[in-house]
Amino acid sequence: MDYARSDPDTLAIKILIAGGFGVGKTTLVSAVSEIQPLSTEELLSDRGARIDDTSGVEGKTTTTVALDFGRITLREGLWIYLFGTPGQDRFWFMWDELAIGALGAVVLADTRRLGDAFPAVDFFEQRRIPYMVAVNQFDGARRHDPAVVRRALAVPGHVPLMVCDARDRESAKEVLLTLVRHAREMSAVRA
Amino acid sequence: MAADEDPDPGPLVRMFAVTGGRARAVGEAFDVIAVVTTIGMPYDQAGLSPEHLAALRVATRPTTVADIGTRLRLPLNITRVLLSDLRREGLVSIEAPAATAGVLNERIYQEVLNGLRAL
Ligand SMILES: Nc1nc2c(ncn2[C@@H]2O[C@H](COP(=O)(O)OP(=O)(O)O)[C@@H](O)[C@H]2O)c(=O)[nH]1
Ligand SMILES: [Mg+2]
Repeated sequence: MDYARSDPDTLAIKILIAGGFGVGKTTLVSAVSEIQPLSTEELLSDRGARIDDTSGVEGKTTTTVALDFGRITLREGLWIYLFGTPGQDRFWFMWDELAIGALGAVVLADTRRLGDAFPAVDFFEQRRIPYMVAVNQFDGARRHDPAVVRRALAVPGHVPLMVCDARDRESAKEVLLTLVRHAREMSAVRA
Repeated sequence: MAADEDPDPGPLVRMFAVTGGRARAVGEAFDVIAVVTTIGMPYDQAGLSPEHLAALRVATRPTTVADIGTRLRLPLNITRVLLSDLRREGLVSIEAPAATAGVLNERIYQEVLNGLRAL
């Protein structure tokens, strides 16, 4: 966590975890993060706009949204920061800020509520941010052919799509590895 | 852990106390992983809240905005307001994170992949 700014090898890398409520974002961040507790909150007004002036805050016009925050130290001077927050329309103002400079994003999907992943897929497609889809396999959820999920979400062929268990550290690591590999390929294509 | 949308009066109360009701950082916007460094201690601490002072102490070692928020147990947008106050007073510097996706080179990607595998 200590930064030596003069050292050009000192880097913080930002990865985003998106998806609907209850899809396993907090679980995934917890599985790989070295810090606990992981959740902070952002204050929102009812309409999802950031609170710019707090007049009327006493009314029922505000709520908070969880923002999961995790950190992985890869070596002294190289960190991955994970930010997880709901991928829903009313929270996009948060994503716009978080997405700046991000290495990439994981869109978590639950096959029982695939539609919840649409807005996040859309968001990252439109902004050309490298992203992947990780289908969190819940107990009791029917196993879906990844190709079917890909078609249902209209995710292009070059975007990685895999099944994961957000509770499992190795599985969560594999998700992050897949995203970083994909981001590397995308940056090679752009270069 | 509370549900994502639980109305929670706690942060609101803290927000009033800590920022005087302000929710917007002053000055140039900065990233959640921008690096904050304390560059001065105030002669007169009367104008600063305990949270401002706590942030100054944490940032004596360069620390990201997100890490400061976690240490202070404050929401990120409130943390941003505090840090922007301190910047305006000339007490901290806030530097953009070195790594944005565009500047990562092949060597860094490889290092990140190796580091993740070794976890
Ligand atoms: N069976 C199973 N349960 C999971 C999995 N991932 C998350 N959960 C559970 O699903 C619930 C919602 O997960 P959470 O991480 O809080 O979702 P979030 O709203 O996206 O942050 C929690 O009770 C988790 O324990 C998984 O892979 N399998
Ligand atoms: Mg959560």
